Formats: sequence, structure tokens, C-alpha cells
Amino acid sequence: MEKMKLFAGIIVLGSLWGFAECIIGPAIGDAGLPSGTIMTSVFAIGLMMMSRILFKQRGMQLGMGLVAGSLRLFNPFGGCVVCSAIAIAAEGLIFEIIWYKMSLDFRELKTITMKLSMGIVTAYSCYVGGYIITQILTPMVASTGFYVENLIAFMPQILARGLLAAIVGGITIPSIFVLKNFNINNVKDRVYYPTTAAISLLCWVAVITNAIFIIGT
Amino acid sequence: MLMGKEKLIPLAAMIVILIGAGASAYVYTTQTATDNITINGQQYTIDQIFNIAESRTFDLLNFSGIALDDLVIKTGVGCLECHEYTIIGDDGYQKTVTWENIKKGLLTKDGMTVFSDLPKAYRIKNVVKIEVI
Repeated sequence: MEKMKLFAGIIVLGSLWGFAECIIGPAIGDAGLPSGTIMTSVFAIGLMMMSRILFKQRGMQLGMGLVAGSLRLFNPFGGCVVCSAIAIAAEGLIFEIIWYKMSLDFRELKTITMKLSMGIVTAYSCYVGGYIITQILTPMVASTGFYVENLIAFMPQILARGLLAAIVGGITIPSIFVLKNFNINNVKDRVYYPTTAAISLLCWVAVITNAIFIIGT
Repeated sequence: MLMGKEKLIPLAAMIVILIGAGASAYVYTTQTATDNITINGQQYTIDQIFNIAESRTFDLLNFSGIALDDLVIKTGVGCLECHEYTIIGDDGYQKTVTWENIKKGLLTKDGMTVFSDLPKAYRIKNVVKIEVI
């Protein structure tokens, strides 16, 4: 596959992930729903899995995490922004590590049990990993200092909250497999590049406009 | 003999579910349900705390309550700058802050800490304990 096509794929899917973190996540939180769980198990895992299925390339998910994390920096609300950005990028890295040994044609994931199991393991690891990273980084950035005993005392809560993320992830990944027969190479360049560019641009403009609007009010 | 992926992955998923379920059970059984707050080893009710400490409001953040620094002083802690303060919620969530942070903090009527100089991660809900360390 052309490198340019992969690059455009990383940008568009990473931008969609970042858009979800900045705009959809807070709205879900305001509605009283577990936004962290939904963000990781549906949007992050769903988009990363989509990229793996459509492009069949390793490394894309880390790139997507970096793009999404960068977009998060343009939305300076909701606590430690740098910590959130790093945690998002870390979720991409955790996904890459978990899926590193999996074949790119997904021959191991023929049964629903395997797909469901990978969904559970991936969502739980990304959620718990991202949570722990935020808990370590926030006190450091806030200059109060990191106290390991504070993290240890809260670990049962983090591990418990990951359960819902794992269950939702177990539904997300098998669902994304409906795209398995879609061949991204069949999409003509004259459609692919303008579409990916337009969606990416829209995500960035929406997030930056939202930030300016909130700061202005 | 190495375990194949078709066995290893479902096993890993089962372990993950067991860890999550075990942690949930632990959290449920150890969660503290109390209306009292222990500060430096002494128990107070929320009403007592609101009677002894002066009020504070963060207009920009839209929060009001009692001043954490005044509360710590009134509960008899000596050498305020020599200590750090660990604030613990009923779910085990805890954060350690300095006296400088305490001076910019408040405790709301529903038992949540808010600091004007710290991120939202320091908004600890249902505070049950403030340890002086």
C-alpha cells in the first residue's frame, strides 16, 4: 500500500479519535455516562481496530494515538491536558504491543471466542494502562509530586472500573470485524484523499473552534 | 510446551475478567460509608466542620465551602508548612498536597475538595479522611 495512503489513514482516524475525546467525551460525561470507559472501549479501540482491519499495517495505531493526543492539546479543558494527551498516545502504544504478535490477516481470530477475548484483553489493558499513566503524570505536572502509595490505594478502583471497559471492548472488536471484507485499495485516490483531508480538517476545526468558543464565554 | 494463541488469548481474557470482578468485589466490601471526616486522627461531622472553619468561594470555578487551611489550623495541626496532607475519598481515591495547595483549597458541603491551583484530578469526592504526614 502507498505510504501516502497510510499517512492519510493515520491522520483521519487519529483526528476522529481526537475529536471524540475532545467533543463527544465531555458530552457523554455531562449526560452522566462513564465517558472514560466509552471513549476507550468504543472510540479508541474501535478506530484502532478499524485501522488494523482496513490497512493491515502495524504502527498505524501508535501514529493515530499521537495524532489524537496532539488534537487533545488544542482542547485545554478538563484537568491535566498534557497528561490526557500522553495517556491517549499510550493507549495507541498498548494496542500495538498487544496486537504485535497477531497476524495481519487475522487467521487466529476466526472464532467469535477469539475476537471477544482479544476485545476484552485489549480494552482492559488500554483502559487500565491509560488510567495509571494519568494518575502518575497528573501529580507530576501539578507539582505536588507523585506518591506511589496514593496510586496503590486506588489500584482496586482502577482495576474494578476496567471491568466495564473490558466487557464493552469484547463487543466492539467483534463488531468492527464486519469491515473485514472491505478493501480500502478499491477506493479511488480521487475520492480517498479529498475525503480523508476534509474529515481530518473538519475534526481539527471543530475542536479548535470549540476551545475558542469556551475560552471566549 | 508453549501454549498456542487459541488457548492463551481466551485464558488471558478470563484472567482479566477475574481481576476486574475480584477488584469490584473488594471495592464494594471495603467502601467506607460514613458522614464523618477524620482529620489528623480526630473525627468530625460535616456540620461540626462547617461550624468551626471560615467559608471560602471560588467564583470562577463556581464552588463554595469552607477554607481547607482554616480547617486544618482549627483542628490543631502544628507547624503547617512542615507537613503534607493526604486527602482520602470513600472510594479509596487519595491525593497528597502541600500546605501551599491547602491554602488554595476548599471543602464543599457535600464533602468534595476543590483546589484553585490544581487540576480536576484533585477534586476528591466524599472525603472521609485528611491525614497529616
